[in-house]
Amino acid sequence: MTTHAMLQALADPMGVPFYPRVFQTLGVLTFSIHILCVNLAIGALVLSIYGRYWGDDFWKGLSGSLAKACTAAVSGAILFGVAPLLFMQVLYDPFWYASNMLSGAWVLGFVGVVTAAYGILYLRVSRDCGASGVVSAALFLVAGAIMHALNAQMLAPEKWTDWAVKDGAPSVSGLALHAFEPLRFAHFIVPAVAAAGVFLMLYAWYFSPREDFDKTVLARAARAGASLAFWATAVQALGGVLWLVTLPSEFRFHMNPAFVVAALLGFGLLGYFWRIRGKEDPAASAPGAAAALFIVTLAMAASRETLRGLYLGKWGYTLAAHQVHLDIGSTALFFATFVLGVSVAAWLLAVAFQAGRVPGRWTPGPRMQAWGKASIGILAAWLVVVVALGIFITFKNHGA
Amino acid sequence: MYPVWEVPGLTAGLVLGLIAAFHMLPSHLSVGAMWLNVYLESRAERENRPELLDFVRKYSRLLLIFSYVFGSLSGVGIWFAATLAAPRAISGLIHNYVWGWATEWVFFIVEVVGIFVYVYSFDKVDRKTHIRIGWIFALGSWTTMVVIVGILTFMLTPGLWPQTGGFFDGFFNRTYWPQLFLRTGSMLVIAAAYATVIAARVYDAKVRSTVARAASVFGLGGLALGAACFFWYRASLPAHAVEIVEMLVKPGLRQGMIGSTVLLALYFGWLIVKPASARFWPALASILVLFAGIWSFERSRELIRKPWVIPNYMYSNQIIGADLPAKGVRSEIPAINERGILKTAPFVPKNLREVNDENRLQAGRMVALLECAACHSLQQGGVRSLARIAREKELDADMMEGLLYSLDQMPYMPPFAGTDPERRALAEFVAALSKGELR
Repeated sequence: MTTHAMLQALADPMGVPFYPRVFQTLGVLTFSIHILCVNLAIGALVLSIYGRYWGDDFWKGLSGSLAKACTAAVSGAILFGVAPLLFMQVLYDPFWYASNMLSGAWVLGFVGVVTAAYGILYLRVSRDCGASGVVSAALFLVAGAIMHALNAQMLAPEKWTDWAVKDGAPSVSGLALHAFEPLRFAHFIVPAVAAAGVFLMLYAWYFSPREDFDKTVLARAARAGASLAFWATAVQALGGVLWLVTLPSEFRFHMNPAFVVAALLGFGLLGYFWRIRGKEDPAASAPGAAAALFIVTLAMAASRETLRGLYLGKWGYTLAAHQVHLDIGSTALFFATFVLGVSVAAWLLAVAFQAGRVPGRWTPGPRMQAWGKASIGILAAWLVVVVALGIFITFKNHGA
Repeated sequence: MYPVWEVPGLTAGLVLGLIAAFHMLPSHLSVGAMWLNVYLESRAERENRPELLDFVRKYSRLLLIFSYVFGSLSGVGIWFAATLAAPRAISGLIHNYVWGWATEWVFFIVEVVGIFVYVYSFDKVDRKTHIRIGWIFALGSWTTMVVIVGILTFMLTPGLWPQTGGFFDGFFNRTYWPQLFLRTGSMLVIAAAYATVIAARVYDAKVRSTVARAASVFGLGGLALGAACFFWYRASLPAHAVEIVEMLVKPGLRQGMIGSTVLLALYFGWLIVKPASARFWPALASILVLFAGIWSFERSRELIRKPWVIPNYMYSNQIIGADLPAKGVRSEIPAINERGILKTAPFVPKNLREVNDENRLQAGRMVALLECAACHSLQQGGVRSLARIAREKELDADMMEGLLYSLDQMPYMPPFAGTDPERRALAEFVAALSKGELR
């Protein structure tokens, strides 16, 4: 059986309920947020550990805040990890499932490792980022390595049948990881420091109106953050070039428009961080730095998706090959829910943002209160509409 | 067919079952807890009893850590375990219900943001705003249940989906409503049981009594709703599922469901009468009783889906067993019977693709891995061990071969798919395994 025939045999025969490009776009968008959260979690934890063990009073003081940022970032990483995982299974089902089945024990291990790391983080590290912080960080890196290996295995379908057999018998233990690319893995991990740097700048910017915060500490946090963001991005750029060299030459990826755009934006970000670093008050540029980091991450994620297409295209696997069975009802359900849900979540975030910026208790003004009431109304209305639809369909299909 | 991941003795399916049953606790706690919280927080505000907020604060932290650390990861764990247990089945579900899961995910965003803001803004916003945050969380969280129940019930009763292939035709099926309210009752019970654990840790006796009584009223109400909906659910099951209940659901599972309901009713009833007697260890025991009940119900729910994993479409061994004209899918059984499973599945070692005298037992094991291992252990013991079944029924290879011919006569077994030599190889493998001739 050829690799192409094998992939055709494995692909889900039911097709997809909407145009594949839409799933792909959603996948890239949500992956970008996911990887930013992953980077922030690891970067904040590493800096927190540094502060706890080796830092001066400034870093020691920040250690707790960084550990708390890490816990929130891990939640974000899980939340925004679910969506790209879902969309990947819609578009790349044979690749993802085969890779998982070949390393089943590691797949389940991934869940255990992340649970242990996150549990330790909440129960121990948030109080004192000592040895438990080191254990937690190590476990998160192991989890990242497993996920990287699973993704790397996806890209080599020509080797799957060899990996699935050992000494002429089926290999069913799932105990082996078969592929790992250190440079590519590093390319995902190094930005952790840059993300933590931008977080420090945001921290200084966010608390700058608070009179009860030490201005010199905030200023130093902003300067340290800008510096970390610049140097980490510089290392990332160098690593990116090295990784580019390792890619199959027939891809000519260095000429690919998706890569060229991402690379130009990446170097633009490096220059931007350089400029911020030289400023008197880097904190003022924090929102711009965060937005720039997100845009570059998005471009990198799109470039990664393009590269995946090149790898899988070698075996004749294209998005266009998916059979589309349009399901307008469920598609409308998702997009309507998305718009409404984001507006509800935005109110919650707006409350948190404003409440944290003042000392003591904060009371929302009339507009915020109206938005809050509307958020409850939106959820109630959603339920009414879906329940009504459900009752109608139940009676139509199944009678009384 | 994908490569097989074998969990010796347990089966990947049971691993999935264990994770899924555990996940019920944090996920249903998440959906139910905030209703109790907003009730008590509103009462604290209305009756000017700020001491009640001590409980609300502690309970919220439990919710955050248990549901959104362990719960969200066990939810991810279900996905990964389901992939390993039945990749083609999860693929089939996702290709149909991707927008359903994506819709649930939007409410998951509301939940996660909501619980963080609720916990960390406790002393940072005015009480009215804080209660509003609680309401948003409670509604958003219950909505995740409204969505996921459609997909869960589809796996037992797919409604008109096999004919139309339509999302909502499968989603709003005949067991949707009873199971939605059955699970709504469960969420109240789970939230109440955990609340009594936290209440027992509250130092103030008056607060402890108030909370224990309120939680127990929630719990008893949830039990009543759940029990009523259980009978509604039972009455909604198709005849085939009822038959499977009689054949496969063992007395232990039935006793687990009934016993846990009775014990929890007594526990909550006692606390309504004597709320001051709330103590930590009995409260913790109520969680264990709860888990026994959940395990019994979830195992039964899994069993009654047999022989399908997606009814009228895919068998529990992941072979597509029926046409799905709405999506242009044909049953795989005729092609596999003609070519053989060993030639059809891509990850079969080359030396096993053709059954011969040299490889017969190895080929038989390969067939067992592909067609049986999803439910049956291929060890001497373990979950539904093939060796043990053969020993208990004293089946030799010929009798086993006869049994494989008649599998489709058993309402809970998928038919054997493959050629005659493959069937014979499987029969000889199981017979040899049962005699201890193979490791």
